[in-house]
Formats: sequence, C-alpha cells, structure tokens
Amino acid sequence: MSGPRGLDVSIAKRLPGFSLEATWSAGDEVVALFGASGAGKTLTLQCLAGLVTPDRGRIAVGGQVFYDSAAAVDLPPQSRRLGYVFQGYALFPHLSVADNIGYGLRDWPRDPRRRRVAEVIERLGLGPLAPRRPRELSGGQQQRVALGRALAVDPQLLLLDEPLSALDVPLRRQIREELMSVVREWGKATVLVTHDLAEAFHLADRIVVYEAGRVVQQAPKGEILSAPASEAVARLMGVRNILAGTVVKADPEHIQFRWRGRTLEAVNSPTRSYFPEPGAPLAFFIRPEHVRLIRKDRGPIDATHHMNIMAGRVVDEADFGLTWTLYVRLDEPGRAAQGEYDLEVEVPRLVYEILEVERDRHWHLSIHRGSIHVLPS
Amino acid sequence: MSPDTVSAVWLSARVAVLATALNAVIGVPLAYLLARRRFRGRRVVDLLVTLPLVLPPTVTGYYLIALLGRRGLLGSPLYSLTGWTIAFTWYAAVIAATVMALPLVVRTARAAIESVDRDLERAAYTLGRSEWQTALTITLPLARNGILAGLVLAFARALGEFGATLMLAGNIPGRTATVPLAIYTAMQTGESGQALVLVGLLTALSCAVLVVADRLGAEAR
Repeated sequence: MSGPRGLDVSIAKRLPGFSLEATWSAGDEVVALFGASGAGKTLTLQCLAGLVTPDRGRIAVGGQVFYDSAAAVDLPPQSRRLGYVFQGYALFPHLSVADNIGYGLRDWPRDPRRRRVAEVIERLGLGPLAPRRPRELSGGQQQRVALGRALAVDPQLLLLDEPLSALDVPLRRQIREELMSVVREWGKATVLVTHDLAEAFHLADRIVVYEAGRVVQQAPKGEILSAPASEAVARLMGVRNILAGTVVKADPEHIQFRWRGRTLEAVNSPTRSYFPEPGAPLAFFIRPEHVRLIRKDRGPIDATHHMNIMAGRVVDEADFGLTWTLYVRLDEPGRAAQGEYDLEVEVPRLVYEILEVERDRHWHLSIHRGSIHVLPS
Repeated sequence: MSPDTVSAVWLSARVAVLATALNAVIGVPLAYLLARRRFRGRRVVDLLVTLPLVLPPTVTGYYLIALLGRRGLLGSPLYSLTGWTIAFTWYAAVIAATVMALPLVVRTARAAIESVDRDLERAAYTLGRSEWQTALTITLPLARNGILAGLVLAFARALGEFGATLMLAGNIPGRTATVPLAIYTAMQTGESGQALVLVGLLTALSCAVLVVADRLGAEAR
C-alpha cells in the first residue's frame, strides 16, 4: 500500500460569481466528492493537484504540506506526485498508448522506463493496444490508458474527475467495475469527483457532500444515507418522503411531533441527541421501504406490535419490477403533504401480489419509530 | 534576364527565408506567451504585433526608420558607436519583411495554440513536466500545422513586401531592390518584359503558398 495515510484539505477560493470554502479530511481510502455540477468539486481537485492556487488555507497529503497560505508554501503540480485522471481523460492525441503511459517517466533511464511501461500495459491488459493512438480506442480503453498514465509514476494519491461521465450509459456499469478493480488492486488512496450518487456509493468508502461551494457533510458512505446531516443533504441524496412536522416534546430517547393531524414518535439520535423546543418546526424522513402495510387477515391491530399507525388510500402506484411504489394519501382531511399523496411506500413485488394491493386500495400503515429519521435543521 | 533582375530574385529569396526564420524564432514564442500567459502589458504587445497588419506599409516603414534609422531611437547610438547603420542595407529589407509578416505568424500560431486542450497541458504538469517541456512535447507539436501555416503565409508576405522595405532599405538595384521593387522599377523604365517575368514568378509562388497553407489548415482540423 503506497497511500498517503491522511489527507487534510481546508481551502477557500473566490472566483467571479462563485466562492469555494471546503474543509474535509480522509484516511487511506477512496473518497468521493459528491454534489451537483458547479458545487466546487472539480475546483477542489484542481487545488489538490496544484493546478489552481487557493486564496487561503492548507492542503496536506500524508504529512506533506502541499499548500499553506500561512507558511507561504505552494508546491507546483510537478512536485506533488499525484495521479490525475481528467474528465475526458486528456490523453495526448499525437502519442501512442505506450508513449502516453511513459510520458511521466521521461527522466527515467531508458531500460527501467521501458520495463515500467511494459509492466503497466500488462497489468491493465492494454498489450495489443500499445502502438495505437488514443483516438483509435474505445471509451473504456481510453480510461484504462489514462489510469495507466497516472499510475505509472507511482503517485501517492489518485485523483479521478468524473471518471465515468465520458462513457455511454450501457458501458458505465462495466467500466465502473473495471475502475474499481484497478483502484483496489493498485491500492491507491483515491479522491474522485462525481455528481452521480450511485457512482459515489459503488466506488467510494467515504463521501464528502458538496453544495454550492460548501461541504455540507462528510462521513463513511453507510452513515451518510442513514443519517444525513441536514434536509439539504437528504435531498441531494435523493431521499424520499422528506416531511415537515411540529415538535411536541423531545427527550434523549425519543422525539414526539405532530404531522398530518396525528402525533408520531421517532427515536432521538443516541450519539447526537437533538432537543428542539416544543412548537418548533421539524424536518424528518421516512424510507419508503420502511413503511409497513398491516395485514387484514391477522385480526385486530396489535398496538404493541405496530406503532405510528395511520390509515390511507393508494392513489397511485408505479411498477419497478422487483418492487412496487405505492403513493398513499392519508384519510386525514386537509392538503396532502406531497401534492397528491402523503407518503411513498415501497413493497416487494411478492407482498404486492399476496396482499392483492391491485384490488384492495385502503390500508392501515405502521412505521417503527426507529425508521423515522429526524433531520437537524 | 538582366543582372539586376537575377540579383533581385536572389535577394528576395534570401530576405524571405531569413524573415521567415526570424518569425519562427520570435513569432512562435510570442504567440505562445499571448495564448497562455497573463502578464502586464499583454494587450499592448498584442496591439503592437498586430498593427503592421492594418497600418499602411509606408507608415510602418516610417516607424522603423524612426527606430532604426541613422538618427533613430536605436539607430543613432548604434551609429555613433560603430559608424554603421542598418538603413539602406539588405538587412533592412529583412527587418522590414519580418515586422510586416509577424502578425500573420503570431495570429495564426496563437489561434492554433489556444485550440490545444488545456487539460493536456495540465496532465503533463501533474506528470512532472515543466511548462517549457510541456510546450515542446505537447502544445507546440499539437499546434504544429497551424504554426507551419502561419510561417508559410509569412514567407509569402515577406516575398511580396514593398512599402516598408522601400522606406527602410530603399530601392538600390543589386543591393536592396527585392523582386516587388524591381517590378516597380522595370515598369517605370519601360522594361515591361523584365516586369512580366517577375510578376509571373511571384504569382506562381503565391499560388503555391496558398495551396500549402490550405493543406496545413485542413490537416489541423
């Protein structure tokens, strides 16, 4: 493992009409900078590589300070030893695949350089392509050459800018697998930029969420979906059923709040308990797959088994193959929370068929209090 | 052909080749700086280089005399030091042709350099190459056809230069009279046969130059 053992970024950069203020850190892992386009992700990558100089801040990789405005340190890109894979790959069109891969090794003596190029070509399975020009290669092959060119110099950190966006959608899955295996096999600490959540989840261990030039959350990827730091992050993550209620009372274990004419109970976060005042507005979300339909063939509803019970009607539905999404409007009068409906409910296809949801549209629902996620505002 | 006609052709060839070489040495780096660097006075340099394209050649010639003539800004110290002046020598014809052709090289080469994807240069920097090495191995090779097209145009321009050359170098048969000046003299003195030979020569050369420049431009795209 030739990783940096720690990456600390804290930078500010002002551009016309945009300002970046980003602070995050990571260990020896794959980090995804995730956010909408124009959120400052690529600019961060360019600052890391030394292609853009921040206005102030500090960047350290593996204990080596790349940039420190206070100490007037600013290493040029040539001295940072980072492997940058550009969006669109930026292969040198007038050089062969082998010469592209060997480009960073021009200072090496001839024989070691040849051996290194041959080794990289071999490891990436580019053998027959070595004499070709980049324009004769497919998108996936170009990406491998770009990776090879970056890895040949044995960088301490790999930077990938939107690594899959230059590819057609049907290819992406396959190339994503290839990319993952290359990154894992070469054991490089990696920072990648993406606006595709699925890509971030597939490739990264840790996710740094960007919004409008700010870091709004950074966490291991599992945590970021289960505990988004804010409503903004939840929306960026594509979380469904983000709803607004009013606090009744909060204690270290539970939060009670009013929503659509009833009182719901949620588990308060054991690590970061949240104590809003009674009457304060509260944002929360409920995963569609965590809403349960209560079976009608098991007798009366058992209140010890079900909590946060409500009743409603399926007003619309969508077939996703393995699952169905039901759009449920509660029986409460008044405006529905999400336009025509109050809740999205996701049920497995088998459940949909056994319960005959197609025919039977009125259901009681229950939500475990652990499945209601309160979003700190 | 009269001896003066032969010497005019020979002189024009030397002037055009030397002016083109000077343009390669001065114009290409200048084009690179204007395309890739942001420095103080960049707009002024850009303006000065482009000016000979729009000024009447005699006006450019006037400025060249003011700069390099025996009483000129640079010319007078040179004269008082060495007793030599560039005015009315064949070097003056080279200078005039170089200055007149410079905008063609700088503008064409600059456009070609600007069209090189900056990410290619950035990639070279992250791979440890200096700006100088990157320019030599990536930027200039990729802009090659545009640069060559500019130099071919500069060669043609240098070959046909008249006004600025007349001002700075004069029209001394056998010494500073290039082909365009010799054509003028031949017409003035009624030797239209000599004029026709030279006119045919320049026309053929100019056509050839346009074909080559066009090919290079098409390849660049």
